[in-house]
Order: sequence, then structure tokens, then C-alpha cells
Amino acid sequence: MRNTLRFTGVGGQGVLLAGEIMAACKIKNGGYGLKTATYTSQVRGGATVVDITLDDEEIRYPYANEGEIDFMLSVADVSYHQFKNGVRPGNKIVVDPNLVHPTDEDRKTWEIIEIPIITIAKEEVGNVITQSVVALGITNTMTEVLPDESLIETMLSKVPAKVHAANKKAYALGKAYALDAMGTK
Amino acid sequence: MAREVISTGNELAAKAAVEAGARFFGGYPITPSSEIMHVSSDMLPKVGGTAIQMEDEIAGISAALGASMTGVKSYTATSGPGISLKAEQIGLAFIAEIPLVIFNVMRGGPSTGLPTRVSQSDIGQAQYPTHGDYASITLCAGSLTECYTQSVRAFNLAEKYMTPVFMLLDETIGHMHGKAMLPDMEEIEASIVDREKFHGNPADYKPYDVPMNKPAVLNPMFEGYKYHITGLHHGDEGFPTEDAAQCEFNIERLVGKINTVHLENDGLDDLPDYEEVDLDDADICIVAYGSIALGAYEAVKKLRSEGIKAGLFRPIMLWPSPINRLEEIGKKFENRILVTELNMGQYSKEIERIIKRNDFTTLLKANGRPIAPAEMVAKVKEMI
Repeated sequence: MRNTLRFTGVGGQGVLLAGEIMAACKIKNGGYGLKTATYTSQVRGGATVVDITLDDEEIRYPYANEGEIDFMLSVADVSYHQFKNGVRPGNKIVVDPNLVHPTDEDRKTWEIIEIPIITIAKEEVGNVITQSVVALGITNTMTEVLPDESLIETMLSKVPAKVHAANKKAYALGKAYALDAMGTK
Repeated sequence: MAREVISTGNELAAKAAVEAGARFFGGYPITPSSEIMHVSSDMLPKVGGTAIQMEDEIAGISAALGASMTGVKSYTATSGPGISLKAEQIGLAFIAEIPLVIFNVMRGGPSTGLPTRVSQSDIGQAQYPTHGDYASITLCAGSLTECYTQSVRAFNLAEKYMTPVFMLLDETIGHMHGKAMLPDMEEIEASIVDREKFHGNPADYKPYDVPMNKPAVLNPMFEGYKYHITGLHHGDEGFPTEDAAQCEFNIERLVGKINTVHLENDGLDDLPDYEEVDLDDADICIVAYGSIALGAYEAVKKLRSEGIKAGLFRPIMLWPSPINRLEEIGKKFENRILVTELNMGQYSKEIERIIKRNDFTTLLKANGRPIAPAEMVAKVKEMI
């Protein structure tokens, strides 16, 4: 079965790394994973989108097929509006409500879930850079595409040892907020 | 045992260079190729090699050419705008017969164009990157694995034919991150080709005194075998000449050592110049190369699931073209061919030249975006 996920943000937020971690984790579990990023030539502040395709069978085309994306998470308004239409109607889109402003029409088209990702990273974890790991925890909890343990292990292998504790906390917070948002806490 | 790695195309290209025996990188960073330089600057010093960021693109290739003249396998990496700047030195590499691998991770052009977006619009540039007459060898990676395997091949071809070789990636394949299966090191080491050397008396050494369609035999500099290197037409020992017969011979040999040899032997080495998928019983042939072929595999699968017999022809060596096979494909599929590429038809024109018809279909895009499998499926449905 193929899962296609999309993260959107602006350059510099670290959404690329979260995508890489998910693809790598799927591969380590014997499947196939691909991450592609589309970004602009602005160093910071340009719309960035990361597509992650996970499958047990070989994947060739690395981009998401528009309209077939299972799940999206967005932390920037500009890229949210530019890339939301790729998501299958009725599916979940997680947004940071302080940064992303979905329209009323969007709320009818998709299941929009608001989680203050950046605030969680900044105030509860104490390090804004961990926002991509908070996002990782949210994404995997909502999509259940990868085993938590394995994903955390892959994530820790890609971040410096001195921030392991902060990132573990970020993942756990992401998971807790996602469970809460889904009403299963 | 093959090696499973999780990587990007650019990282794999750099890894291939080092494992193919290259020990010198000279270049200048440019999106979307910069990771080749980053990884090289990490890997090369660990194996006794050197990676140097020069002051600009021209200096980058110049340093790499100088290193190659000393017998060290060398490479540079850039994108289209960098190739434009390097054009003059690429010409020197062709006429002086200096082996060099030039990675071009393609982005939208012309000029600075679309720095972060995918394109295949340097196909024509790779065929004729500089003025004058010569023949280019150009390989194009169609998967993460090929970013490695074809890069190794590029170094081997450069050494075998004493020429610059273009290794094309594009933004999609250079930056995509996923699984690749690499041949084990024993297999790579067994495949390595090193340039020929003259072992006789230095007084008898004439590097350019070689038969028609054979490459020059350039011994490494500083080993006692003296000769002259120049961009001017030159005689047996490399000194300038304007002798009519010599100049004619030089150009015929430069072109012939690649194009004639490729035609006569149906290839420049033992590796395939193209891949075919489901072509045997196909009614429609999709032609795609590089990252666009990734979408074409899925389009073929989708069309077949709907009962439409499509197949894929994917050139791996773009220049010289797989002429013999393309002629057969033209005869078999006639106008039931779809050529799809990220430019305004640069390879389509080559197909037209080879199959001698212009009534096949094209699906072209030059706005920095990929071509989705669904677009190919829709185009094929229009054809039937």
C-alpha cells in the first residue's frame, strides 16, 4: 500500500529533515521510501514543500500525485495555500493556527486540525529547532505509517547527541497533541 | 552482495567518483549540484585526494584539468550556467584529449534561469558544449542507483577515450532521497579502466602519434615523458601546427574515436546504452530519460492496467545516441511514439533525425516542474 504525505513550510524551518527521516525509517523496515523537496531560490522565507512516498513495493516517481495525498502538515501560510490542493478531499491537514489560516471552504473540503507546532517546540520543548520533530510525532500518530520506536531511533541517528533528550521530548509532545486532537487521549 | 544505501543522487555521484578512483575535485558551488562538491570535500581528503573550491567555475575546471594531466582522475560538478562558463576549457579538454568527468545537475535555463527547479534543457549543450568539431560522450542517470553506476562508467569512458565525459543528473534525481542498491566494491574495482601509458624510451614518446579513431596516449606529467599541451591544432608531440593534412586528420580522429567507434561496435563499452521496459509486445513506445523516466515507468504500469500496451525506451547514453536501436524502434512503432522531456524538444529532434519521421507525439515541459505519470497517461490516450 502506498502512503503519500506532504509537509509544507518556508525555507529554513527544517521540514526537509522530517521527510528524510520518514523515508529512511521505511527503508530500514524493509520497504521503499522517497523524499523530494521543492523549494525556491530564496535562501529563507520561500515556499517549501516536501513530498514523502512510502510503499512496500518499489517507488519510481518521487513526487506525490496531485489529489492523492493522504496527509499534509503545514507551518506556513504561503506554502499551505500553494500546495493544499494535492490532498485527497476529506483527509487530514494539520496546521499551526498561529501561522496558517485555512479558509472556510478549506474546512469543508478537508479535516483541518489545528496544533500550535512552533509554540510547542519553543515553549514546551524549549528549542524552536525541534519543530520538525514535533511535526514528525504528530504525523506518525495521525497516519500510523511507521512503528514509533523505529522512527524515533532513525530520528535520533540524524540529530546531534546533545539534543537527543530535547528531540525525544518533542516527538512525545507531538504524539500527545495528536492523540488529544483526535480525541483519543 | 550489493550494498543498500539511503542517499541522494548528488551524494551518490560524489561517492561514485571517489570509489571509481578519482582523487581530485575542482569546482565552484552552484544549485542544484553543490552537494557533489560538499560530499567530495569530505570524502577525498580521507583517501589522500584533494577537493578545492576555486574562485569561479572557469578556475574550477582549469584546476581539474591540470590535475588530470598529472595522471590523477579528476572531476568537476556544476549546473548549466557553470557549463556555459567552463565552455572554453571544455574545448581544451576535447582537443588536448584530457580525461575529465563533468557532472551537470540540470536546472531551468537559459542564463541563471530557475536555480532550484528541475529541467533537462542542457541536453543540446552536452552534445555541443563548446565551439569546434568533436564528439561528446554524455550519460544520463535515470535512478539513484544510476547516479552511482553511470558515474563510475563516466570515469572509465573518460580514461578509455581520453576525453571529457558529461554525466547528467537533474534537480529531481540529484536531490531526491531514497534507497539505492550499489554494486559491491570488488565489482567496482574490477571494472576500473585506467588510461594507457607509453612505457618505452622517453625520447621515442609521441603522445598524439596514434592511428585514426584511436585516442592519444598521454603519460602523466612530471614522470620524464615530455610533450606539449595546447588548444591549438598540434602534431605528434603536441606542438602547434597548421599543416592541412594533420589538421584534417586531427578532427576526423577526434570525432571518429567516439562516433565511428560507437557505431561500429554498437557502443563504447560493454554496458547497455539504454533500457527497455515492456517494449516487446507494446503498441505504444514512450521515450524518456533521466528523472522523467521515473514517471514513465509508472505511466506504463497504469496504461497496462487499463489494457493499453505501452512500453518504455530509456536512453542512458544520450550522446552518441543509440542509433541502431532507435532506427529499429522507428520502424516498429512508426508514429506510435511519445517522446517526453523537460525542454522544448532537444532529444525529440534527435529521434526525428534518426527515425526520419516527424509525425510522432511529444510531451514537453520547460517551466521547472516535473511531468506527472497522469499527464503521460492522458497523452498516450490521445494517441490511440
